[in-house]
Amino acid sequence: MRMITLSDIPARGGSPMTPAMALFMLALATAPFWLPAVGLYQYLGIEVAIWLIFALGFNLLFGYIGLHSFGHGAYLGIGAYAFGLFQQEIMVSLWGGLLAAILAASLAGAVVGAFLSHRRGIYYALMTIGFGQIVWFCAIKLHGVTGGEDGLLGIPRPDLVVGPIRYSLADNYSLYWFVAAILALVVVALWRLVNAPFGRVLQAIRQNETRARFVGYNVWLIKWLTFILSTAFAGLAGGLFSMAQEGAYPDVMSLHQSGLIVMMVLVGGGLVSFWGPVLGVILYFVARDIIGGVTETWLLWFGLMFVIMVITRPEGLAGLLHVVGARLRKKSAPGAVPVRKEA
Amino acid sequence: MIELIPHIVNGLTLGLLFALIALGFTLIVGVMEVINLAHGALFALGAYLAMTTIGGDWFGSSEFGVWWRELPLSTRYALGVVAGPLLAASVGMVLELCLRPTYGKPPLYGLLLTFGAALVIEELIRLIWGTGEQSLAVPRALNGAFFMGGLIFSTYKFFAAGFAIVAIGLVWLFLERTPYGATIKAGAHDSEMVRALGYDLSKLRLLVFGFGAALAALAGVVMAPIWGLRPHIGIDVIIPAFLIIVIGGVGSFWGAVLAALLVGLSVGITGAYAPAWSMLSMYLLLIAIVGFRSRGLLGRKSALEN
Amino acid sequence: MALFVAENLRKRFGARVVLENISLSIEEGSVHGIMGPNGAGKTTCFHVLTGHHRPDGGRITFDGRDITGKKPHQIARLGVSRSFQIMNLFDDTVVIENVILALKQFRRNGMNLLRDVFSDTKLIDQAIDVLDQVGLAHRAWEKAAELPYGERRALEIAVALAPEPRIVFLDEPTSGLGTEATRALAVLIRKLRARYTIVLIEHDMRFLFDLADRISVIHWGQVIDENTPDELQSNKWVARSALGEVA
Repeated sequence: MRMITLSDIPARGGSPMTPAMALFMLALATAPFWLPAVGLYQYLGIEVAIWLIFALGFNLLFGYIGLHSFGHGAYLGIGAYAFGLFQQEIMVSLWGGLLAAILAASLAGAVVGAFLSHRRGIYYALMTIGFGQIVWFCAIKLHGVTGGEDGLLGIPRPDLVVGPIRYSLADNYSLYWFVAAILALVVVALWRLVNAPFGRVLQAIRQNETRARFVGYNVWLIKWLTFILSTAFAGLAGGLFSMAQEGAYPDVMSLHQSGLIVMMVLVGGGLVSFWGPVLGVILYFVARDIIGGVTETWLLWFGLMFVIMVITRPEGLAGLLHVVGARLRKKSAPGAVPVRKEA
Repeated sequence: MIELIPHIVNGLTLGLLFALIALGFTLIVGVMEVINLAHGALFALGAYLAMTTIGGDWFGSSEFGVWWRELPLSTRYALGVVAGPLLAASVGMVLELCLRPTYGKPPLYGLLLTFGAALVIEELIRLIWGTGEQSLAVPRALNGAFFMGGLIFSTYKFFAAGFAIVAIGLVWLFLERTPYGATIKAGAHDSEMVRALGYDLSKLRLLVFGFGAALAALAGVVMAPIWGLRPHIGIDVIIPAFLIIVIGGVGSFWGAVLAALLVGLSVGITGAYAPAWSMLSMYLLLIAIVGFRSRGLLGRKSALEN
Repeated sequence: MALFVAENLRKRFGARVVLENISLSIEEGSVHGIMGPNGAGKTTCFHVLTGHHRPDGGRITFDGRDITGKKPHQIARLGVSRSFQIMNLFDDTVVIENVILALKQFRRNGMNLLRDVFSDTKLIDQAIDVLDQVGLAHRAWEKAAELPYGERRALEIAVALAPEPRIVFLDEPTSGLGTEATRALAVLIRKLRARYTIVLIEHDMRFLFDLADRISVIHWGQVIDENTPDELQSNKWVARSALGEVA
């Protein structure tokens, strides 16, 4: 049976009106109403939404252009610190803080990306680890700026100001709506991006860098831009994260956390589907809360699950769903395999 | 200049220890082109297993247990140094069996699988031995300190550095001077060749992985008295190991040793001026070297670059 | 003046000198063959000419412009295209996207985020045209990875033709093809020569002698002879290899 890949032609051109998108938006819009009902809590929704922004932006780099960064937590962290420092040192402003977070992370991304973009494969991965560690190390050692291992504490949640309207984000309920709105924008923007010519070129570079170069693409530039773009999303997520936590801490920058985001993206199936990171992030956080509620050693079970997944279903959850879906369809309509055949 | 000497000595010993840590890692990368992220976890596992062997708690109050605990510490220590790596080697072999479906796929999958395995091993350690810091007992002869040129040096560190030199030498002799080594090296470059020579490639991989895991565990046993034993020590280990193979060049034995010494020296010397920042110097070294030589000091082309 | 000129190219890898001294002059509208034994430096020569490797010495001009040391994408944009001996395709995607990605028009609106790739009928028609040239139009919506070998070779050529190049370098296009497919390829190249200048590396002597206007013989990193196929028959090395002594 044929497996799906990221580069399959989208069913409806690049239109965002797909069943998966509708389902996602529906879940996003209703989460606050059913989260408590299934035994979860509001803050989890915020956390998942923030990590989704991070993971979806990260998959642009990891899945789409195929550059394996193992130090991406650093840019989330930079975003978080930038947001916090902006509130504490410059002014309390939501948009200013988020802008600062995005700019700081993408600036760092631009510098690091310049060192990386002529590489791929193992040396790319190793250099991202190196840079990630440097950032993490600096965050711990620069007490005066970052608060060292304790982190930046007491970062306020500024009010949302749009024109004359002022809306407090102090409680988790209202913050959820704000984060969810940003996530919705991010999802639609990324969906457009990966299906637009630029996105297809990213995938071409993943499939064959040499060929892309010889048909005239400036591969270095595109790799660099993609890195910056993914760090910008990481920065945005970081800014929101420091708002949610009301603090910025160095642990999100550690190799461990950077490894976890890779794991989430992969378990979900980020290599075969746009929605892979979404599934992966949700699975991770739900597993953390549900298995974590039962046993302290939930990471053991999550790790085992991950190992089994890599061995048996390296395409991840999205791949699994695809296979199950195809089987079901086959049962109901034998021989009906939709293949696009027009010219 | 003269006041730098102890820092240089420190740096060199540290470098040798780093080389010991990286040895099993570089072997597996070189031969199998698998980045074994569980290397750090196997390092920790080996040390914990050796600690338990030396302590003998698991033998309970049986006759054997009582007899065991009455043995002199040095005997138990020597046995622990052997038992830890052997047990870790068997775990490594299990890991290799799990890795088999990933061969022929992008190297990413091997890396992920071992990342998952590292999580699992680390959690198992937490489950079995608890989260607190523990220590591995060493025979009195290796403990203590001595004076040299008016400075204090720890005896154990020198023992460990000497141990590292011996281990590096033995591994090198094994790779260069024995038919097994020749086959392993052939496997690194040309799996067709290994088959043509009539060796069983899957057996070879199993053994190499076991050997690499044993070396990781051995490094753990030797390092535990210096660094202490925590379940998450693996992550502190994997990073220098990584840096060293990248700086040295993937697949190069002497590149790794040279890189380890350089990293040790740079950490030691920056330690003289800015102790808080000494660990940062190794990352800067990485960027400086790999920025100019894209395959590290002595690296060759590897399938992992794709 | 010739369309593509290489003068005294030199290239070494470490201690190994691969190109000692290569000079080529390729006339517009011609089919230029390059032959020589394995390891003579033919593929390296292509790599240097198309910017994959930077030459250590010498000069390359295309259409009167110095392109020595330019990057592959810059050279490609000027209208120099190539295929590869080991196939280089975009395997995860369909045949037609392999071609679309290489179209000049597509590259130009690369940054436009509101555009869609597969609803742009103009691009698709253009890509179908290119595929038609190599006889692959009926395979347009199949996955590149799933094509049989011979058709993958044809796609490799289609991708090289898509950017509307002025000169196309084909590196051993017949390698791995059966007699039937080789014959079809010869027909194709004859058809293409009306539109493009073609440079061919080839092991198949009969194929090359049949098609080429001029042939350069490369050996030990040097051009040891350059002439029309008829004249070359008398070359010692060529005569020997024609007898089958050298593959």
